[in-house]
Order: sequence, then structure tokens, then C-alpha cells
Amino acid sequence: MLWMISSLIFIFLRIAPGDPVDAILGTRANEFARESLRIKLGLDKPLVNQYFEYLNNLIHGNLGISLNTQEPVKIIISKALPASLELAIFAILIASLLGYLIGFLGAVKPEGKIDFIGRIFGISTYALPPFWAAMLIQIIFAVLLGWLPIGGRLPPGMSAPPVLTGFLLLDSIFNKNIEIFFSSFKHLILPSFTLGILLSGIFSRTLRLNLEEILKKDYIEAAKSRGINDSRILVKHALPNTLLPVLTITGLTVSSLIGGALLIEITFSWPGIALALQEAINQRDYTVVQGIVVTISSIVVMISIGIDIVIAYIDPRVSY
Amino acid sequence: MDPLFSKYLLNKYLQTTKYLTGENISFQNKRPMLKINILKVSSIILIVLQISCVQQKKRENIIVASAGKVESLDPAQANTLRTIQILSSLGDTLYRIDKEGNLTPVLAKGLPRVSTDGLSIDIQLKENISFHDGNPFNAKAMKFSINRFIKIGTLNYLLNDKIKNIEVKDEYLLRIKLKKPSSSIKSLLTSVNLTPVSPNSYLNYKDNFNNKSFVGTGPYFLESFSSNQQRIKPFPNYWGKKPLNKGIDFINYRNSSTLFGAIKTKEVDVLISNSIDDMQRVALNNMVKKGKLNEGEGDPIQIGFITFKSSTLPLANKKIREALSFTIDRELISKQVSFGTRKPLRSIVPPQLFKKKISPWPSYNPNLARTLLKEEGYCKENILTIPLTFRSNVPADKLLALTWKEQIKRDLSDCISINLNGIESTTVYKQLSEGAFEAVILDWTGSYPDPEAYLTPLLSCNEINNNTCLKGEAVFSGSFWGNNQVQQLLEESEQLEGKNRLNTLIKIEKLAAKGSSYMPVWIVKPKAWSLKNISKPEFSKDGLIILKNLQRK
Repeated sequence: MLWMISSLIFIFLRIAPGDPVDAILGTRANEFARESLRIKLGLDKPLVNQYFEYLNNLIHGNLGISLNTQEPVKIIISKALPASLELAIFAILIASLLGYLIGFLGAVKPEGKIDFIGRIFGISTYALPPFWAAMLIQIIFAVLLGWLPIGGRLPPGMSAPPVLTGFLLLDSIFNKNIEIFFSSFKHLILPSFTLGILLSGIFSRTLRLNLEEILKKDYIEAAKSRGINDSRILVKHALPNTLLPVLTITGLTVSSLIGGALLIEITFSWPGIALALQEAINQRDYTVVQGIVVTISSIVVMISIGIDIVIAYIDPRVSY
Repeated sequence: MDPLFSKYLLNKYLQTTKYLTGENISFQNKRPMLKINILKVSSIILIVLQISCVQQKKRENIIVASAGKVESLDPAQANTLRTIQILSSLGDTLYRIDKEGNLTPVLAKGLPRVSTDGLSIDIQLKENISFHDGNPFNAKAMKFSINRFIKIGTLNYLLNDKIKNIEVKDEYLLRIKLKKPSSSIKSLLTSVNLTPVSPNSYLNYKDNFNNKSFVGTGPYFLESFSSNQQRIKPFPNYWGKKPLNKGIDFINYRNSSTLFGAIKTKEVDVLISNSIDDMQRVALNNMVKKGKLNEGEGDPIQIGFITFKSSTLPLANKKIREALSFTIDRELISKQVSFGTRKPLRSIVPPQLFKKKISPWPSYNPNLARTLLKEEGYCKENILTIPLTFRSNVPADKLLALTWKEQIKRDLSDCISINLNGIESTTVYKQLSEGAFEAVILDWTGSYPDPEAYLTPLLSCNEINNNTCLKGEAVFSGSFWGNNQVQQLLEESEQLEGKNRLNTLIKIEKLAAKGSSYMPVWIVKPKAWSLKNISKPEFSKDGLIILKNLQRK
């Protein structure tokens, strides 16, 4: 899978119009300067050679050097990925708490008030365009009310603590810097809540539908006929059986968030990996695009494998 | 934040929660517990908000925000406004253009002395100036910097055809030998790209870019650099007028609404206008009128125009291009697209650079356009279809394209039809010289404040065949328009000075207007907004904020 993705991204980038040399030098640079840079970047070599060199480097864990900034791609990713992960983790936490709670309450009393509100909430958050919702939340909470910062990971002018993990919250704790901890936490609230709320709709719908289906199963009826009370049936019998689809959805959402929160990252100027990818595409920075795509793909593959393993562990019917 | 203050806040929080959850309240049922939890959450939020208030009061550096990352601080690679803005504070140039538009020495001791044959320029340098690394600034350092730019500079084509070699005549005397007489070279010496760098610090960067650091002679030195944030501090041994502030933090936000929100919420002190959407410009202007912000603006330097490809039919027909130049209602477009913030323009050189207003392009006249098109067999059944390309990632371009299309529909639907095509800018630039676009919306900012910095990049051509440019700048700009008289005048202008030179450049512009391969639309003034406790931003002649004059009141 990874080989396929890395090969496809290599081919697509070369087919796409635009040239990294133009992006770096501008279109008006003279032929000598263009050719010198082409040689320096290794773009003068035949495509086949470039491809095998790229694969060889990839196998050895070498993602190359940015064509634009001459910075190792690994460094670029190591700066941007923790920002995205930090955002994704908080967003998933919020989405899970909110979404699963609403879904659960809705399934417990179907067609009730909470269920009705939950369903409207689920559909609305699912249907909301992320950039619009993000801008609206930003305007209300940052601009009009002024409760939270407008964007970025830290206040303007504040320097980040020495990098240990890349996660600002953790790094500030390790460096015993309470000021950075609070500041970075504040900056995390708006983007993670926005993302969390937008995702909670999918989570609540997934849980509610699965739980509703499970509650109609024969073994639930059997449990009821044995006189087991409703809450026990719900918690002990029904809920564990909804875990499989819920876990799958949660896992896939985490993986999609790592590279897919672009609109949120743009709106809140969050220096994450999706933003880095977008900038690299604009610059036709082949090596950075390839490196980021391969890294994100690897994470998605690892998470998918992880989910499969967990599912196999908790569900004895599943075997590989 | 002060650690004592944070401890105090935490203690307060602990005392409050202890008081609320502890011995002072007896719980009768679960409801008080809920109230207490709400109180706990509220107190945490309050603490967090308190901390933010304290931070804003402690700000020492002036925070300047704009859009776009800074990937490199190498003057040889600088080509974005943001990078040039920072470099203008970290380094000095040999000369600058003063408010009256005259060449003024900065690192040079006096004006350049040109030999009688015009092939050599002597520049006497100021003495006792040191780089931020402590090394002296002298002719050797200047030679190193210019040669480095000629070798690796992204805009080196500006100098390569002009400079033969550079000689160090004595420690503070530099001689530039030219391939042919060039009057524009003086203006070129004001370019930020030629900012001298310390040879000692750039020993390992003779042939490659030094992206993350900068060692120059400017009023500020670079304290820290990342692509998202750069911090500069006053250089204590600066030779000239010292900065009025304690340092500048440059930060970037990715989109216009965040930038707008940042100044509105006072998260930043100064906002630079690049990438601010027109709607938000209007809102900022309103805030200025209400006395909530200061506003500074510079001379307009960015022009917006439509390029017509003149090498293939139908636009190879000069009359059709001429007809098109009558079709655009600039006033309407300025109002509709930018609420009047982009001023209508009928020249391809910002008027102030000629020191008088000239508008060689015709004004809006749909009837004349129809007459011309009829003469060429268009209108009624034969409708001229123009595919118009705009950069999809530039909001103003899209609005201009849509407005012009609708305006043509309103006025000339029996003669012209416009098909829109949005393409991302990187692809547009790449395909421009390949002749991919019949008509394309673009903009241009000269590298230095001189008419030549606009005329040469748009009009110069090295090889012309039947009014089609085969090789040269006109190919890169996508017009493919070549005119022997224009080339002759461009070359002549290099040997002229003062008024004669300007008059020749005006002639060139008039010829370009007749050729109609470009259609200027608007001109944009660089603007900056500052909070009321910061002084009003001042601009230099080249459209950059004079950062050292920013002051916290």
C-alpha cells in the first residue's frame, strides 16, 4: 500500500503543471540559473533514476531535503506533525465526549426530546461547511467576545519552549513553564472545539444508529425477559456490541484528521501538517509533498492495523 | 507571566474550590454539586482569561502581522514583500529613493560618479560602519555582496546584462564597470536584493542561500528566526538614526479574516495590507474613521492588469486588442470589486514615478469598441469569444473577472463573450511563457521605484519577428508583444538622465498603450494599520514601512 501511494504521488507531482525551479527562482530567471538549480536539485536526471533514488532513500528512512528551503523534510514534518496531532487528539476527545453522549442519550430514549435535538445536532454539524463554521466560531469567540485568541499556537511574540516532543502542552510541562502551558491551551481551545463539534455529529449518529439496531436484537429481548433492568442491559449487553463500528469510525477519523484538517488549520493559522502540505504543493516542493504524504499514509496504515488488532482482541468472532 | 502572579492565581483557585467543596457547604442533594462544578469550571476559565490580560500588558516589542511565511532571509533570494520588509530593517542599501523621488546615499558617501563614456560608476562608501558580526563594511564587502547576487540571485537577470565587473579601488571606493551605459543601474542600487552582507558570515554561502540568518549593517539585528515568526532587535552599534522602539516581532497569519481579527482584538500592534481582502480593508478604513486605529499609506506600487497574448489570432489582431481596451469600466470595477480601495489605472507605470500623471490607455467607451469590432467583422452574429484566465487563489482577480464579464454582457453582449477560467497562480506563472493564456489577469510590483522596473519586465524583447516577441521579458509576461521602436527607446533611455530619460520612458509607455497588449486596470497603495498606542506607520518610497520609526506611545 505504502509503495503504491509513494509511487503515485511521485508520478502525479511530475505530471502536474508547475515547476519547482519556477517556484524558487521565478519564471524570469535566466537559463543558466535555472539549469544550475535543476542540476543542484537533481531534477536534471531522468525520471526513472529520480524515482529509484527516491524509493531507495525512502526505504532507508531518508525523506530528502526541501527543494525550496533546503531543510530536511524530516525536520519540516517533525515541526508540523505534533501540531496536527495535538489538535487531532483534543478534537477527538471533544467529539467523542459530546458525540457519544448525545448518541447514547438519544438511543436510550428514542424519539424523545434529547433524541430529537441530538439528531438535529448531528445532521447540522455534519452538514456545516468546516471553513464557515470555523470562521463563525472565530468571529464570535475571538473577535466579538474576545475570550480566546484568534489563531496560532502561541500568542504573538511568545517563544516556544525547547522542543522535546513538539506538543506544546507537554513541552511546557516538561520545561515547567506555566505561562506557555496556559497560553498554548488557550490557543488550542477554539480550533479543537470547532473540529470536535463538527465531528461529534458523525460520532453521535454512528453510536445512536448502532445502539438502536442492537437494542432490537433477540439477545436483548432475551435479557429483558429474564428481568434484567434496562440500564444494565444497555451498559453490559448493548454498549459493548456497538464498540466495533464506533472504534473503527473513531480510528479512521483520527487518521483522516492528521492530514485532513486543512480548512481548520488555515482559518486558525494552525501550523500543522495539512498546512505544510498545502504550502509545499503551491511551491511544487516535490520532496516535501512526497515526505508528508508518505508519513500521513504510514500513520493511517498503522492506525488501521491497530484498530484491526483491537477489534480482533475484543471480538472473539473476528480472526485474521 | 510573572511566576508569583501565576502562583497567586493558582492559590486563589485552590482556596475557592476548597471553600466550595469542603467544610463550608453541606450537601442536601446533587444540585449544589452541579453548581459547584460550574463554579470550578468558571474559575478555571477566569484564571486563563486573567493570564491573557496580563500578557498583553507586558508586551515590549511591537508586533507586526502580515500574511505569508518567510522561508528565506537571504537578500539574493528575497522576492516577497514580507521578506523585503524585514530585510529593509536588517540591512542598508547603497542608496534609497527619498520622498521627492531623488536618489539619496545611505551606505554610499555621495551620489555615484559616472565616467564620461558612461561605462564605469565610482561609488565612495561611508566609513566606520560595521556589520552585526563586528566586521567592517567596506568596498570588499560590497563587491562580495553584489557578485554573490549576480551569481545566485533569483533576480540576477536585472544585473547580469548590465555589469561587466566590479573593482575595489581602495578600501572605501567601489568601481562598477558596465557592459554598456545604463542609467537604470542607479535605481537598481536601491534594491533590497543588493543589501550588503558580511563576507565573513557568508563564507560558506558564496554559492548558496543562507536562509535562516542574516548579517548586515541595518538598524536591527536578527534575534530569532522561524518561518512563522521573526524577532529583530535594535543593533546597539548602528551608525545611523537609532530605532524608536525596543524591537519588532513579525508574525504571520494565513488568512485575511484572522489578520483582521488580530488587529481588532489588539493581539497585534501593526497590520500590513498585503493579502487583506477588500471587504476587510473597508472595515479597517471605517475603524480609522472612528478613531480606533491609525492608518499609514505609501505611494502605490502594485499595478493590476490584463495581459493579451498578441502572438495568435484573434488577439494578434491589433484592432481587436484596441477595441478591448475600450471595454473596461475601471470606475465600476474599482467600486464593485474593492469598494474604491483599488484606484482605476490607465498606465502600466505608477504615475508618481513619472512625477506627473499620464494615462495613455483609453478610457471606457463601449460604442467605440463596438465600432472597431464591427470593422473587423464582429458583432451581431459573429461574437468574439475571449477566454479570460484568473488566478483562482487571488480573490480580487476572481471578482475582477466576474465583474468585467458581467459588464461586457451588459454593454457589448452582441459583440463579445468572455469565458472565465480559474487556475492556481503557480500554474499560471509556469504556463505564461508557454503562451497558454489568451487573456490573463496579473499584477506587478517593480523591484525598485523607477519606471524602468515596470516597463522592462513587461515590454523588453531580445528577438522580434513581425511584432511578435520570440525571446525576452515580453514572453515571460505572456503578451509576446514585440516592438522595435520600444526596444530602441528602452536602450536609448539607459544612456539618458533626468527629464530626458523620463520623457523617453513616457514615449515607451505611449507606444505600449497603442500596442494594447496590456490593459491596466487598477493600482494598489500599500497600507498599514496600527493600534492607537502605536505611532502611525510611515512608508518609504518603495512601499515598505519604516519600522524603526514605529513607536509605542
